[in-house]
Amino acid sequence: MKKLKFNGWAVLSTIISLMIVLPNLDIIIHLFQKPNETWFHIKEYLLKDYITASIIIVTFTIIFTVIIGVTLAWLISAYDFPFRKFLRWSLILPLAIPPYIGAYTYAGMMSYTGVVQRFFRNTLSIEVNQKYFDIMSIEGTIFIFTLFLFPYVYMVTRTFLEKQSAGLIESARLLGSNSVGVFFRVIMPICRGVIVAGSTLVALEVLSDYGVVSYFGVQTFSTAIFKSWISLGDVDSAIRLAGILMVVVFLILSSEKVLRGRKKFSFTNTKVRPIKRKKLKGIYKILASSYALLVFSLGFLIPVAQMIAWSFMSYKNIYYSDFFKMITNSILLAAGCSFLIVVMSLIIANHSRINSNILSKIYSKVTLIGYSIPGAVIAITMILFFVDIDSKFKGLALSTSIAMLIFAYLVRFLAVGFENIEGGFEKIGNKFTEASRSLGYGVTKTFFKVDIYMLKSVILGAFALTFVEIIKELPLVLNLRPFNFYTLSTKVFEYANDEMIPESAIPSLIIVIVSFIAIFILYKVADKEDA
Amino acid sequence: MFIEVKNIYFKYKNSKKDTIIDFNMELSKGEILAIIGESGSGKSTMLRIIAGLEEAYRGSMVIGDKKIFSDKMFIEPENRGVGMVFQDYALFPHMTVKKNIQYGLKKKSKDEKEKIAIEMLQLVNLLEHKDKYPYELSGGQQQRVAIARAIAPKPSVLLLDEPFSNLDANLRERIRDEIKVILKKAGITSIFVTHDIEDAKVLANKIIVLKDGVIVEKN
Repeated sequence: MKKLKFNGWAVLSTIISLMIVLPNLDIIIHLFQKPNETWFHIKEYLLKDYITASIIIVTFTIIFTVIIGVTLAWLISAYDFPFRKFLRWSLILPLAIPPYIGAYTYAGMMSYTGVVQRFFRNTLSIEVNQKYFDIMSIEGTIFIFTLFLFPYVYMVTRTFLEKQSAGLIESARLLGSNSVGVFFRVIMPICRGVIVAGSTLVALEVLSDYGVVSYFGVQTFSTAIFKSWISLGDVDSAIRLAGILMVVVFLILSSEKVLRGRKKFSFTNTKVRPIKRKKLKGIYKILASSYALLVFSLGFLIPVAQMIAWSFMSYKNIYYSDFFKMITNSILLAAGCSFLIVVMSLIIANHSRINSNILSKIYSKVTLIGYSIPGAVIAITMILFFVDIDSKFKGLALSTSIAMLIFAYLVRFLAVGFENIEGGFEKIGNKFTEASRSLGYGVTKTFFKVDIYMLKSVILGAFALTFVEIIKELPLVLNLRPFNFYTLSTKVFEYANDEMIPESAIPSLIIVIVSFIAIFILYKVADKEDA
Repeated sequence: MFIEVKNIYFKYKNSKKDTIIDFNMELSKGEILAIIGESGSGKSTMLRIIAGLEEAYRGSMVIGDKKIFSDKMFIEPENRGVGMVFQDYALFPHMTVKKNIQYGLKKKSKDEKEKIAIEMLQLVNLLEHKDKYPYELSGGQQQRVAIARAIAPKPSVLLLDEPFSNLDANLRERIRDEIKVILKKAGITSIFVTHDIEDAKVLANKIIVLKDGVIVEKN
């Protein structure tokens, strides 16, 4: 048994973990203080509506994302049909469009002056009933979330299915199951774990969203938190709402463990014969291609085409001097924070690998806190924390500087970088480090001479993923940025809220293109590693 | 005695039972010891304890004149001067054969590094492969690089973890003979673990048989 070692890696890991835990402790302490009158009003008249709306949106989004994600993953991994190869990866692309941009685009397209109604009115001479085209409702919110979040379920399920043995399906067939039988009796049960994992991510994204629900005017926890905080100036009630939301999130995360079940289905044998795809014929071939192409078009092609069209319409109305500053702000912020997150993830992951003890395990769990907590809660947490610091140390003005936003991003997205890097360390194992140590190099030198080279593609992947999350992020930057600091996402939000949807298209497109590039890099890295 | 290992006890973190119980052994300079036993007998664990990759909770160890482990002190693996050849070789994939061999020669000048690398490459008969990457070599060649890398810094002891387990039967005999020649030429004190009594008979001067962490036979 190795004795507990106290070294530089341990010290840095402790500091990073405390950095994440301390602000959250602050919010818990505030929760136990006596509530004010507004809180009683919220509790009496509004809380039920917030809870109901949030539950309806989360539940139905999960149901639809699972249906779409799993059926597409099954089609792509078990059947051959036209465009399969293209669809296999392009079905991930809706992730490049943040749901709030999707919401603005669809709202614009479906409005009275939008392309859909204009087509009915001008081309078909049909005056449509407005209520069928009103997307700014709970149903519309579910539609938007489903379209832009289903890839979370699709991706994990497809990757899992592609690694399954053909033997499973062949045995089921020999035992008399047809394709439908195989799907429900074999595929769905073995995929339970990954489906639950994918839908948990979807649930967290939905609860964390602010852009879609605030634009559609749907009252959920996120909008309620910001409303009581910013419109009513009642931080105390905002904290209470945030506290309840945190409880909901932890319930979801604990139910994830229960729902995943005790069994883990995986093959330890590397010589698993992969599923042999069945060639679809006739009408089935057309149905499969049409279904997948329809989802791809709704989730990527149509909104992107619309954004391009709007960009051509609006490019003359944009002030380019501000615009380039905004792009620089976005890129510097995302790149700087992603770099710090990758460094922090490397420190904690390497520490927990080298010194496997209770403390290092706690540190790795702590990194996950931020991603589980919705943006609205983190925003409040940060304000409280930084105002506290500023009041304790006279002369400091951290709460009005960019430091608060950077800190919030580190807390929020550390999990994204860490999960990737921890996975990379697990893959390479300890043998190279041990070989290097037996050749006379300590942990730190080994890290710089060996580990970092072995993890090159994982580090790139972690950086790209975090970068994309930050470029897309809205609630934190919107509420924590310093005065007069704009990014692409805040500009998109501002244009959309000023009813200038076509003008929002250019910054939106840039976000989509950057995300597209990062997703492409990640896809290539993952495929290379699988090979 | 050159190596003295006394009363070693070791337990893995999540295990209730000791993996190594009261392990004792002595070895003179230049001798080759084989630790044999079935899977789970604790033989690889013992090798890792000697290398400093695991820490025993009781016992002591001396190599040469240097105490490397006792109840009160523990020298980290990088400061022990012990070379190790891993079961799956653990050659750094981003370095060429020559760079792999030079890796442990950190305090040497550039010329010395070059000289030692060439000597080692000649010793393991791989001079013409010096600029290749590990994935371009066969299993047997990779193993020879691993040995060259481990002995290049002139360690006081060389540890070999199941050196023949990844090789097929034909190659196994040939490589065994090659390793015997290499170890003899290098004159290095060595300890290796194996589950095959034939390996032990061909290579070792001394044999220890381990069963459930306890030494059941010494000769």
